[in-house]
Amino acid sequence: MAINNISGCIGCGVCVKTCPTDVIRLNSKGKAEIKYPEDCQICHLCRMYCPVDAITITPEKSIPVIVSWG
Amino acid sequence: MGNNINRREFISLSGGFAGMAALASMGISGWGDNEAELTVDEIESKQHSCDVLVIGGGMAGLFAAIKAHDAGAKVLFVSKGRLGSSGQTPFAKGIFEYDPKNAKLTIDEFVEKVSLSAIGTNNRVYTRQLAEHSKARVDELREWGFFESPLYNKSFSKPINERQIPLMERITITNLIKENGKIAGAAGFSIDEKEVHFFNAKSVILCTGAGGFKPNGFPICDLTHDGTIMAYNIGAKVTGKEWNDGHPAKEKNAAASFDGWGDMFLQKPSTTDINIRHDLGVDMNYQAYVGGGGSMRMGPQGPNGGASVKGGPQRPAGLDNQMPGGQGSKPEGGKRPPKGKEGGAPPGMSGGVVGGSSAGMSIHKSEGLVPINDKCESNIPGLYAAGDALGSHMAGGIYTQIGSSLAGSAVQGAVAGEAAAEYSGKTEIQKLSKSKINTIQSEIFAPLKRESGYSPAWVTQTLQGIMIPNFVLYVKKESIMRAALAYVVELRESHLPYLRAKDLHELRLVHETRNMIITAEMKLKASLMRKESRCSHYRMDYPEIDHENWDAWINIFKGDNGEMLFEKQAFDSWS
Amino acid sequence: MGVIMEKRVKQFIWIFAIGIFIVVPGFTYSLGDFPRRSFLKETISLLTLLSFFVMILMFYLSRINRSTLKPFKMAKVLKWHKALGYIFVGILIFHPFFVIVPRYFEAGISPGDAFSEILSNLDKQGLLFGLIAWSTMILLGVTSFFRDKLPMTYKTWRIVHGILSLVFLFLASLHVIQTGRHMSAAFISLILLLSGIGIAMLIRRYILDSTSEKS
Ligand SMILES: Cc1cc2nc3c(=O)[nH]c(=O)nc-3n(C[C@H](O)[C@H](O)[C@H](O)COP(=O)(O)OP(=O)(O)OC[C@H]3O[C@@H](n4cnc5c(N)ncnc54)[C@H](O)[C@@H]3O)c2cc1C
Ligand code: HEM
Ligand code: HEM
Ligand code: SF4
Ligand code: SF4
Repeated sequence: MAINNISGCIGCGVCVKTCPTDVIRLNSKGKAEIKYPEDCQICHLCRMYCPVDAITITPEKSIPVIVSWG
Repeated sequence: MGNNINRREFISLSGGFAGMAALASMGISGWGDNEAELTVDEIESKQHSCDVLVIGGGMAGLFAAIKAHDAGAKVLFVSKGRLGSSGQTPFAKGIFEYDPKNAKLTIDEFVEKVSLSAIGTNNRVYTRQLAEHSKARVDELREWGFFESPLYNKSFSKPINERQIPLMERITITNLIKENGKIAGAAGFSIDEKEVHFFNAKSVILCTGAGGFKPNGFPICDLTHDGTIMAYNIGAKVTGKEWNDGHPAKEKNAAASFDGWGDMFLQKPSTTDINIRHDLGVDMNYQAYVGGGGSMRMGPQGPNGGASVKGGPQRPAGLDNQMPGGQGSKPEGGKRPPKGKEGGAPPGMSGGVVGGSSAGMSIHKSEGLVPINDKCESNIPGLYAAGDALGSHMAGGIYTQIGSSLAGSAVQGAVAGEAAAEYSGKTEIQKLSKSKINTIQSEIFAPLKRESGYSPAWVTQTLQGIMIPNFVLYVKKESIMRAALAYVVELRESHLPYLRAKDLHELRLVHETRNMIITAEMKLKASLMRKESRCSHYRMDYPEIDHENWDAWINIFKGDNGEMLFEKQAFDSWS
Repeated sequence: MGVIMEKRVKQFIWIFAIGIFIVVPGFTYSLGDFPRRSFLKETISLLTLLSFFVMILMFYLSRINRSTLKPFKMAKVLKWHKALGYIFVGILIFHPFFVIVPRYFEAGISPGDAFSEILSNLDKQGLLFGLIAWSTMILLGVTSFFRDKLPMTYKTWRIVHGILSLVFLFLASLHVIQTGRHMSAAFISLILLLSGIGIAMLIRRYILDSTSEKS
């Protein structure tokens, strides 16, 4: 499901800012939460910027993928 | 509400495109009630003023902000995403550097060779400017530590912080504002705070990048040609919509852009040397089409291991398909050079591939605002654009020089920054009228107010189903394009006005969806108009190059009654 | 109690202790539903988790747990207490740095930048608890090492040591539960249970001590 898991988060908010498509938000507990997984473009920027490497991403998209032929 | 559903059903039953409409309803629900999490009354309005407003935090925006500041202007820098971590800039790892000391070609030869590969579609002034200025920009980047990390936010922040240029991130600009025929500023909203921002500026530089239909495989889902459409809406001329970027994606997990590029996103950037090619047009799309789709393979000699299919896009002599790209890449500080880049297949892309990974995007630098001179200026006084947002045709309608896109954004950003600062030095600020502010504000937030409507995700997916198929966007034919156009017009007329948003994230999606629909219309109409095949534009019904009629770019602009108008502009002339 | 019987009981306690503080956490870890990362990263995490459980064990390896440890000589228990204390406090001191060690071996944010990002977030609850726990832990180590040189009686030292360890374990547990990447419901329950009993034993000891002194 694209961005898949966040654990070990310290709540710094870097991934929230970093995600180009605004997939992640801090929740009421101050932790990063995958809020809009369907918009994840699986680019790994959030993972690379996270200071504690808390983010795990898998290559599958969570909504149907439309390509030019199949 | 029932009315609209009926209309949708009607189309899916009657249209020749029933399959597409079926595609469109996959997975995501369409019409529904809007459970808005905030009300319009909660939105706070903020006003800012400056000399030069730079919109977009990629490579172009970076240099625009810095050079405008250094030229003495009071700069405000605003971006939809984070500096150096939004748009396409974060993923580009090769930057072209023309170093006269050890260049294989003189600048004249370089420009000539690019023009040959581009079959005349390039604007030589911008091709030359790229070569002339690239080294200076690369040197500055090196000083800021650009080449030391695979992530660019830190090196980009350095010069911005040193100059104390105010930077506002995660603000989606939705409108450019024109007063008395001149640019007066822009407006947009924050996706974090309940805030709408009005920027009053003497001059605006659009560095908003290119865009696409939120395609799968190319990390451009935050880019939807926002700048181009905003500018079009206030009367700017736009160009380059008929070209296509032909990047493929891996067949398996096509949407995984990171995985599709091997380890490229993990690499530190490096510089590239002169190496002129004719790459990533729609050859592969054509081969997939005549080969009956099926599993396309990337071999060492290109699609399907170099097995040649008759016909299809023509290549200039001497520029045969060379794959994979990346030769001529010079390691920075002895490190491993990035492979692939924009030439050839992305690294690691062996095995089955599919098309459409960058659907909705033209060749970098070929689409965007029409420049009226070599200063990145548009036909609207005070409005500039740079990088992927400027239709400079720096490389033409095909990829010619590896690494030139990133370098071109840097070069043009700097040129536009200086020009805008100079312009703002001799201009009065145009006041934003109260009535315009009110109208814009209510327009921006209307989708939040809607009690029911279409979800932007559904409309986007419908649009993808209409536009992305190989036989619509890439291997073009009049009949199919007309049919697709009917669908797109339907989306614009009867769906766009009913998009709903429950929160600020979805509000951003609404505005992006709007821009994609208009882009789709532009792409289809420009493609219908260009009755020839050249570079990355391929028509089954007009497969030949037509020098007599089509040594010209297509400009698109809005007529007095809001209609979409088209004009030709001869190659190597200014509009 | 016969000698053999005593040996059996001792063996049993040993096995029990290892079971609770190493095998059960290890098992909980392996059952947890979280992404497995590289060998290096998981090794670092496991070492940190193990060290943390040894910290809880310290409560059980002290006089406050005398009733259970009856078959052992207290001097021997304390030998273990001291040895494990110095070793694992020594390891945990470096835990904040271990967190960023993998960044030396992979692309992304540099270890230095990652560390300064962590430092600039020490005001966030989970990390704040970690920071205070970390400082308290160092204080525990230092006051233990220089016990003889400190201007206090052994009795006061013990109370200071006890209070410091109480504060430490309480905050460290909160820190681990709030920030740990391997925290499943099972893990959290285990930590709450073990540190809860440890802390309760200590408090009970103090209450008993103070009432017995008065009477
Ligand atoms: C995977 C990949 C690999 C590439 N590799 C190379 C390469 O190796 N070499 C090369 O030369 N080129 C490469 N390119 C192309 C290159 O990345 C781009 O041409 C270049 O980065 C464009 O820079 P830019 O600043 O013009 O636009 P972008 O980097 O796209 O920046 C656009 C900015 O505008 C902002 N923005 C957009 N809309 C709005 C709005 N409505 N309001 C406010 N802000 C907005 C965005 O947030 C973003 O900050 C690659 C591209 C991709 C996707
Ligand atoms: C770092 C080296 C350590 C040394 C040398 C050390 C030493 C001691 C000593 C000598 C005692 C007194 C035992 C007694 O008189 O009965 C003691 C008790 C105790 N220690 Fe430690 N200790 C160390 C670390 C720790 C740590 C890290 C913890 C907690 C996590 C801890 C928790 C306790 C507790 C709870 C007691 C019982 C207090 C009491 O009896 O009042 N110790 N320790
Ligand atoms: C300044 C002090 C500290 C900092 C900055 C810090 C930082 C962190 C961070 C960022 C994490 C989450 C990342 C991860 O799980 O890998 C973490 C987890 C953890 N910390 Fe700390 N910590 C500090 C002090 C402590 C102390 C004193 C302990 C002692 C017991 C401790 C024990 C743990 C444990 C056990 C985990 C969970 C590991 C896991 O679940 O895999 N930390 N710490
Ligand atoms: S960057 Fe990492 S630590 Fe920071 S908020 Fe995101 S997940 Fe949490
Ligand atoms: S992988 Fe990219 S798109 Fe997905 S959440 Fe991370 S930064 Fe956002």
